[in-house]
Amino acid sequence: MCGSTATASALFVGRSPTLQKAPPYISLLLILVGVAWLFMLPLNDYSRRTYISENALLPGQVHTYFGGSDQNVLRAYRHEVGALENNTNTEVNDKLEHMFRSMGLKVGRQNYTYTTSGNTIAGENVYAILQAPRGDATEAIVLVAAWRNVKGEFNRNGLAVALALTRYFKRWSLWSKDIILVVPPDSRAGTQAWVDAYHDSHDSRRVADLPIKSGALQGAIAIDFPQEERFEGVHIVYDGINGQLPNLDLINSVTNIASGQMGMGSSIQNMFHHNDEYRDRLTCMLRGMVNQGLGHAVGPHSSFIPYHVDAITIQPVGQGWHDEMGLGRLIEGTFRSLNNLLEHLHQSFFFYLLMQKERFVSIGTYLPSAMLIAANFTITAIALWVKSGYAPKKTTGATAKEAKVDVIQEKKEGADTKKAMRESPEDLQPTVERELYLPLSLVTGCQFLGFVPLFVFNHVPSSLLTPLFIMTTLLSLTLPHALSFFLVTTYKPTHQQYQLITSFFLLLLGMFLSTLATLNFSLAFLVGLLATPLTFVHPFRLVSKLPAAGYAYSALLSLLNPGVVVLGAAVATLHSGMGLGLAGLDLTPWEAIQKVLEESAFGWGVWGMYTPLIFWCVWFPAWVVGSVVVLG
Amino acid sequence: MAKDNSSLQATTGTAGLFVVAAALRLLLFTAFPGLPNLLTGRVEISTPVTSFKRLQEGLFLYNHNVSPYDGGVYHQAPLLLPLFSLLPDPSTYPIFTYILYILVDLLSANALYKIAESKEGAISRLYTSPRKEKRWSGYIVAALFLLNPFTIATCVGRPTSVFTTCAILHAVAKALSGNIFTSMLSLSFAAYLSMYPLLLLPPMVILAYDRTYNPKAPKSLGQLAGMCTLVVGGSLGLLFLSSYALTGSWEFLSSTYGIQLTLTDLTPNAGLWWYFFTEMFDSFRSFFLGVFWLHLSSYTPALTIRLRQQPLAVTTLLLGIFAIFKPYPSIADTSLFLSLVPCFRHVFPLLRYSFVTSSVVLYGTFLGPAFYHLWIYAGSGNANFFYAITLVWSLGLSLLVSDLAFAILRDEWEVERPEMRGKEIRQI
Repeated sequence: MCGSTATASALFVGRSPTLQKAPPYISLLLILVGVAWLFMLPLNDYSRRTYISENALLPGQVHTYFGGSDQNVLRAYRHEVGALENNTNTEVNDKLEHMFRSMGLKVGRQNYTYTTSGNTIAGENVYAILQAPRGDATEAIVLVAAWRNVKGEFNRNGLAVALALTRYFKRWSLWSKDIILVVPPDSRAGTQAWVDAYHDSHDSRRVADLPIKSGALQGAIAIDFPQEERFEGVHIVYDGINGQLPNLDLINSVTNIASGQMGMGSSIQNMFHHNDEYRDRLTCMLRGMVNQGLGHAVGPHSSFIPYHVDAITIQPVGQGWHDEMGLGRLIEGTFRSLNNLLEHLHQSFFFYLLMQKERFVSIGTYLPSAMLIAANFTITAIALWVKSGYAPKKTTGATAKEAKVDVIQEKKEGADTKKAMRESPEDLQPTVERELYLPLSLVTGCQFLGFVPLFVFNHVPSSLLTPLFIMTTLLSLTLPHALSFFLVTTYKPTHQQYQLITSFFLLLLGMFLSTLATLNFSLAFLVGLLATPLTFVHPFRLVSKLPAAGYAYSALLSLLNPGVVVLGAAVATLHSGMGLGLAGLDLTPWEAIQKVLEESAFGWGVWGMYTPLIFWCVWFPAWVVGSVVVLG
Repeated sequence: MAKDNSSLQATTGTAGLFVVAAALRLLLFTAFPGLPNLLTGRVEISTPVTSFKRLQEGLFLYNHNVSPYDGGVYHQAPLLLPLFSLLPDPSTYPIFTYILYILVDLLSANALYKIAESKEGAISRLYTSPRKEKRWSGYIVAALFLLNPFTIATCVGRPTSVFTTCAILHAVAKALSGNIFTSMLSLSFAAYLSMYPLLLLPPMVILAYDRTYNPKAPKSLGQLAGMCTLVVGGSLGLLFLSSYALTGSWEFLSSTYGIQLTLTDLTPNAGLWWYFFTEMFDSFRSFFLGVFWLHLSSYTPALTIRLRQQPLAVTTLLLGIFAIFKPYPSIADTSLFLSLVPCFRHVFPLLRYSFVTSSVVLYGTFLGPAFYHLWIYAGSGNANFFYAITLVWSLGLSLLVSDLAFAILRDEWEVERPEMRGKEIRQI
């Protein structure tokens, strides 16, 4: 690992001086192509129309009979639910349990208590299982109607529709899969507790076991319908935790039934007026990417997706002429489709970016853009490793004295003679032993340093989060200066050591990001894009004798400090319509930051969201090391 | 006196290292109570023939007077059962198991320390490297083993392959100190536990022969080889007999070694066999099993003959090859191979692909679990994802093995042809 000969190095850039200078330009090119690639995706030539891939689904091919007198039932349920609005969780569940039992369903209840950021989130889920008349309880479909939606609004109509539908479903004999109606008191922790316990992967200190269960979950539909008026169309929310997505067939089935059978509009990513032009498609795709990149739960369905249960939330939106019965029929149609499934949804895509409800790009088309950005780091890393194996051209000062120079006389023969003649003698550089200890320990040390804030921010009470975060950001802005000062005064790193430091941290960054791109494309792309200036770091004072340029570059990097970016994003998205779920909440910037940090701690503790890990242990260390190199 | 002093210093130094390594492992065990079971479930660490979970299943059956091999889950050596049934139940008092595994790691490190301190890597009886000054002390080699993330993950994941690792390292260390009988005994323990270490017998015999060679009264190599084979055969026979006495039938032979020979358990792992044999038509199965085993065992004679002068190098390279090509490899085998590589510090400047190798292995380390997740948990990938990464992983390891072999041969070559020193070579 320590040594080198020119042989391997020659594979890459060893001999040709033009090639030696190329890597930064190649990296730049990769970044530009990667970004341009993303902006090409919404074009007609690069995206595709959606289609139903699984033939068993047959969306919209059945008559839906939810209507007629069921409307009276629904109205009655709405009154009953409305009357419970101000009751406690337990009272509500007592009443719901009574209702379920009178429908002839099996009922279970489950307690959960989560503690994050010093806040305790406790509640009790209630759920009912409708046993399939034609099934053997090996498979089930889930209908979720949370008491309150993600914004905390009372989901009165949603629950009423779910109750009326369940009562109606009970009358039919065509179900071959069990139907489970879950009513969690909230949309964030309740479903997570239920799904965890359903798959026996819960922590029994926080979440109780489920008293009754059914078969493997084949799909889940959540209803989020707090509005009282009639609606125009449905909004489909599909992002899962950690950016995992449900099978595209499920979304397609719902849009297909909504538009084809019910004559409803459907929309995604809060784009209620999508005119299917480039601009709207791009906005829609970018909103999807931000949601995916943040990896948080955007609806009660999100918790299902990590368990490979395809799930979406349906929200009626707008002012129109459709009533609750229409929503009920839409869900009935979807359930009939899911009921038809012979095996788990697998035909269609799991990795896609939707840019309109009927237009998408699949992984093969979009992945290269994130991979190119990740590759730019790797290429520079390899180039710097190779370069660090050569002694500097002019042997100056301490560098050459310390480095043990091992001259390799290259002797060209035969066909190589011409090439050898073209090269001037000073291009044949001697190779040197690499000094790895300082670079390795600095990079490893900074990598582990990230675990400290990760631990701290997931464990401090919420009131301390904002001040602590601002303090950490300020500290992290000064950290590179302190580290650099310490290094320069104590160890006097050579140019080669700086090259190796850069090589190692870029290699790690490139590796983490390309791995991440296979799991969560958007997060890898966003982090990669924000980290691109790190590719071009360079010890300005030591090599270019331009300390001012070093400070300027360091100032640029300070703007892209992970903490600064989060603070900026939290404040900036307060008033815009997208991202972080802060829009329209009327918060002060201080509260907005606190909300983001609470969400991150909540996600880490409850949902198993790994975004904070990427933030603190991939991006943050790379930024610190990069800034140290710039100041060197 | 001076020597005493330095050895005293070395002892305190390694004692410090051992304490640090043990404390680190204990911290991982106790501070993250979910971690051991998480790692036990990882296919990269636990294979069907080493898994701690399967050991517990076997233990349960054994403690209830049922044959541990009933049910087809347990495929490990029978003598592990009484050892583990002496310990309190791992689910209620896990600390005892933790301490056992930590001790085994420290014992391995101690053996490795002795191996490195013997300087056999650079100076054997028949060969002295011109680069012999460049070497790492036993302290560094032991530290590289103990602080290697693969070793730590293996220790926390508690597969039984750590016992094989320990036995192999002790066999080498004892052979180096001239203690032939103990060495062979240790090797037969390793072979009893995992079978494949039997292939290490030829280089071990040569190692033992070289280290006990007395120029005034030279013994014949054949004689020693015969004696060693007898010792190994005898001790294996004793182990088998006691296993028979323990379980009451010869069933264990087919359930432990038979599984490795016929690959009936196709649980995915970091190796190359499982995917190949899931795709295989049954009629070709036995033929390819023969081919794969023949391939694996053919390296032993070839390397032993070619590198006759450097038996430790043969052992190291063979361990690397086993870590790639054996039926159920895991990162435990990789960490054993990587632990011996630093003994060849002197040839490191001759390695040509060090950066490529380490990058490929690093990428494999991170992409492997990610793709396994995509396949098994997210359901959005399939078996090809994971297999592709095991190919990359094996590519990285085979690059390292072949590069190390190249460096060792080049080092030899420069002794024969001093005028070629430092010159670039090219393949014609």
